[in-house]
Amino acid sequence: MAARMGRMLTSRTLWRGVASILIFLVLWEIGSRSKQWMAPEMFAPLKALLGALGFKKDYLPWIGTVPAPSGVLAAWLEVVGSAGYWQSWYMSFFRVMGGFVAAMLVGIPFGLMLAVSRTANGIFFPTFEVLRPIPPLAWVPASIIFWPTQELSITFVTFLGAFYTIVINVLGGARSIDVRYFQAAQSMGSSGWDIFRRIILPGTLPSIVVGSAVGMGITWEVVVAAEMISGGGSQQAGTGGGLGFFIWNSYVGGSYEQIVVGMISIGIAGYFSSELLRWLGKYVTPWLRVR
Amino acid sequence: MDMSTPSPIGAPVTRGRIVIDDVVKVYDPEGAAVMAVDHCSLDIEAGEICMIVGPSGCGKTTLLNAIAGFHDITSGRILLDNEVLCSAERPKAEPGPDRIVVFQNGALFPWKTNLENVIFGPVMQAKLDRKQAIDKGRAMMADAGLSSVEHSYPGEVSSGMRRRVEIVRALMNDPRVLLLDEPYRALDSLTKSVMHEALLEIYYKNKVTIFFITHDLEEAIFLGHKVAIMTTRPCKPKKVLTVDIPHPRDYSVLTSKRFRELIEETNEAVHEEALKAFQAGEKEG
Amino acid sequence: MELTINSGSGATVDAVVGVLRESTPFAGVPDELLRKIAVIARPARFAAGERVYNAGEGADDIFVVVSGRLEHIFAAEVGAREPLKRVTRGGIFGWAGLLLGQTKRLATVTALEPSEAIRIDTDALVKVLEAEPGAANAVMDRFASMIVREFTVPELLAQVRRLSGEPQPEEMSSLELTLYRFGQWAKSPRPYLMLIGFALLLGAWYLTVEVWKLPRFREMPGITTVVKEWLNPNPVYGLSFYTAEYYTHIWVSVWRIAQAFFLATVLGVPFGLFLGWSRKFKEYVFPVFELLRPIPILAWVPLAIVMFIATESAVVFLAFLASFFATALNTMLGVESIDESYVRAANCLGASKWQVFRHVIVPGAMPFIFTGLQISIGVSWFSLVAAEMVSGQYGLGYVINTSYMMVRYPTIVIGMITLGFVGYVTSALVRVAGDYMMEWRVRELALTER
Repeated sequence: MAARMGRMLTSRTLWRGVASILIFLVLWEIGSRSKQWMAPEMFAPLKALLGALGFKKDYLPWIGTVPAPSGVLAAWLEVVGSAGYWQSWYMSFFRVMGGFVAAMLVGIPFGLMLAVSRTANGIFFPTFEVLRPIPPLAWVPASIIFWPTQELSITFVTFLGAFYTIVINVLGGARSIDVRYFQAAQSMGSSGWDIFRRIILPGTLPSIVVGSAVGMGITWEVVVAAEMISGGGSQQAGTGGGLGFFIWNSYVGGSYEQIVVGMISIGIAGYFSSELLRWLGKYVTPWLRVR
Repeated sequence: MDMSTPSPIGAPVTRGRIVIDDVVKVYDPEGAAVMAVDHCSLDIEAGEICMIVGPSGCGKTTLLNAIAGFHDITSGRILLDNEVLCSAERPKAEPGPDRIVVFQNGALFPWKTNLENVIFGPVMQAKLDRKQAIDKGRAMMADAGLSSVEHSYPGEVSSGMRRRVEIVRALMNDPRVLLLDEPYRALDSLTKSVMHEALLEIYYKNKVTIFFITHDLEEAIFLGHKVAIMTTRPCKPKKVLTVDIPHPRDYSVLTSKRFRELIEETNEAVHEEALKAFQAGEKEG
Repeated sequence: MELTINSGSGATVDAVVGVLRESTPFAGVPDELLRKIAVIARPARFAAGERVYNAGEGADDIFVVVSGRLEHIFAAEVGAREPLKRVTRGGIFGWAGLLLGQTKRLATVTALEPSEAIRIDTDALVKVLEAEPGAANAVMDRFASMIVREFTVPELLAQVRRLSGEPQPEEMSSLELTLYRFGQWAKSPRPYLMLIGFALLLGAWYLTVEVWKLPRFREMPGITTVVKEWLNPNPVYGLSFYTAEYYTHIWVSVWRIAQAFFLATVLGVPFGLFLGWSRKFKEYVFPVFELLRPIPILAWVPLAIVMFIATESAVVFLAFLASFFATALNTMLGVESIDESYVRAANCLGASKWQVFRHVIVPGAMPFIFTGLQISIGVSWFSLVAAEMVSGQYGLGYVINTSYMMVRYPTIVIGMITLGFVGYVTSALVRVAGDYMMEWRVRELALTER
């Protein structure tokens, strides 16, 4: 064990990764401080080209305006102490979980039904496919009109985001179950319910795990957007809460460092929830461990 | 088999002599230290069909990979026509068109048609221009009875045909050695027997050294000049047998007395090693 | 032509079937079909040295040898690799009549010793085979391979005719194939189930909002209101099929997507290919990539607004970012998923590193790349809509948001449905482009379709 740790520490891969992140941070710091990075003068020929192609002159970003990592770190240390920051975490997590769990509870059975019954598939799948291209966020206004509370409307949109992904993954997983498993079960005298419980369900489990990990990522996207739109945008200020609102607020309040703090926080939160799901998934599908 | 064609058995072959000299291969020497090949020595004559028979996981593919240049060896040497392919000083050979591999699960490029696959080698090496390559490719495919699938994609034809196309693809480059890694393992026995005859027919027209890995003893004795029975991991030749049934051979050989005698002689040795591998729980690979 | 077996020659139907089974084209054909063929066969006998037929004569019968030995010599113009062939029991000759456009004998056949054969009229044989298309094609396939292998005349292959009525998938042009598939689909119950599904959805919408006026539902715009507004030349709320503004919004959103998607593909695909191909590059660059990826795109909105002076670029940037991550990641996975054997095979065949990249890595990763592109366009719409809702003018996201704020509820739905439709069309375009570029994959999948 110690030898393995030792080898890990001297691993080239690890150090290269660390080095690259450090280089990235350094470049970022320089860029922010310079306030000149990608300034109009430096990139004159590129801008002329873009202008010739019909793009507005101000097309390129101005990295000088981005807050520096040092500033971000300072802001973070400040914010970690305040209760409002952690409350934002809690609120976002709550919404994510709500929407996500709802999506699983509805999506998995729905997906399984579509996979198992050709008739159900014929009726519901085309409708599902027609509704799917409508981005979940486009549902926000309709959702606000419909649901009595803001919480519910945000949760509904979150639910939609994850729902589509989970259903598609369940369908894909069920379709890819080797037909020989069915044949083996039938030749051993299993009933339809048995086959469902012992072959379809476990066989689809890996896809459900993958689908939920991806769905979780989408859920975070939607939650953040919904929080920004309903808390920010041009609606009533002061309500909302959650990390998305935190970011929007920081922007409106002019503390750019806090924007980045918020971004990184969400990134971490999203990463952790996906990892949690993956870990749970391994627990639920032990047979995949042996590779 | 068409007996009316005279076969060039008489013409001697001068290239493709392989000498495997005391080769050792240890995987992960500082970690698990798994010895795959244990002081293996084997001589393969130029133009000979040498069959390597052994149980699953015994390390025979490691030998093939070393000759092909995909893996390195820990010690010993492998020579091709008296040039060193790999040794302790230069542990890994360079893969090249003088030793071409036909893979177990087939490695025809699915995104190219069969003909495009076949001409790949000479075109990439700029040995022939495209038109010449196409002409030669079509001729060789016709020789092997594959004209009807020239413009199909590998995914559209049967696996038996795919194997044959892959062999033609290899032979287009006039290699010294053809390395076959259980190419017929996934085929049913009816297709297999037809493939054996097809392989021999192609062999009689293009003399190359063939290094053929299999676990099927009958296949080995039917095809090979020489059969090397390997021990279970770590592998080394347990018994090397010269098959004195004359070439050209056809399926009538399978029921000949001499064939049955040879099977009897070697069956016990093979079975012994298979049993050991089974008890050791070896994974086939 | 409908003669039965002459018992004088001693040949019974069973004996004929037995001989047929030993011949290359008919081996493996079901017995009932063989019996039908046997019934139309007639016996023939030749003395030693007797000429069976000469090249150039009319081709009418196919012969299957029962016993003895005959010499078969192709005429020079046929171009056979080996013109001389000896046929014995089970051997078939005289099959020229089966070739399209062939009415004359291609060879001269002489009996070397006393021989017996059966002769089958070609036209009658064709009729019998046409009644069983599946077996017929197998027979013709074997004729084809026999012509190539045993008679060594591959040039004649093109003339072997297809006997069954149903065209083979490989032979149909893609248009024919699409029409054929559509026809099959229309005959199945699927279109009707689909209509039931839509009816359920639209019906539920109509009933809950406008007829039953359920609580919460009645606040929503009803289906009739939406449809009326949409088709109104003079829309109450300003947007319908007839207003120019509608199309401006659509165009603005589509143009933004086009820019974002194009940039993301042009930058993301090479980036992903490199990540997959070069281990060093991946070790240096991937950690940073993976650090940035979990940050939801919309969390970038304020930063984007700060960075880009023009809001237009900010919006495109957000769509681009989402697209880029998806494309690069999937491309990298595509490269990593390529079976090592293909790279090894290419190395064996003498390809240089660059050739391997061009001929193996890039085509091999294509299926993943295109899946990635489909995901990426979906994701980019997602981000675009959000960005438009938060900032920016024009665009479908903007329409939906402002319609809500200005209490123009039917327009919200118009916007949503339009979004769905346009999003679908763009995805479909990507998918079609993929199918077109990867014909090999489409054909491969067609053969394994369950």
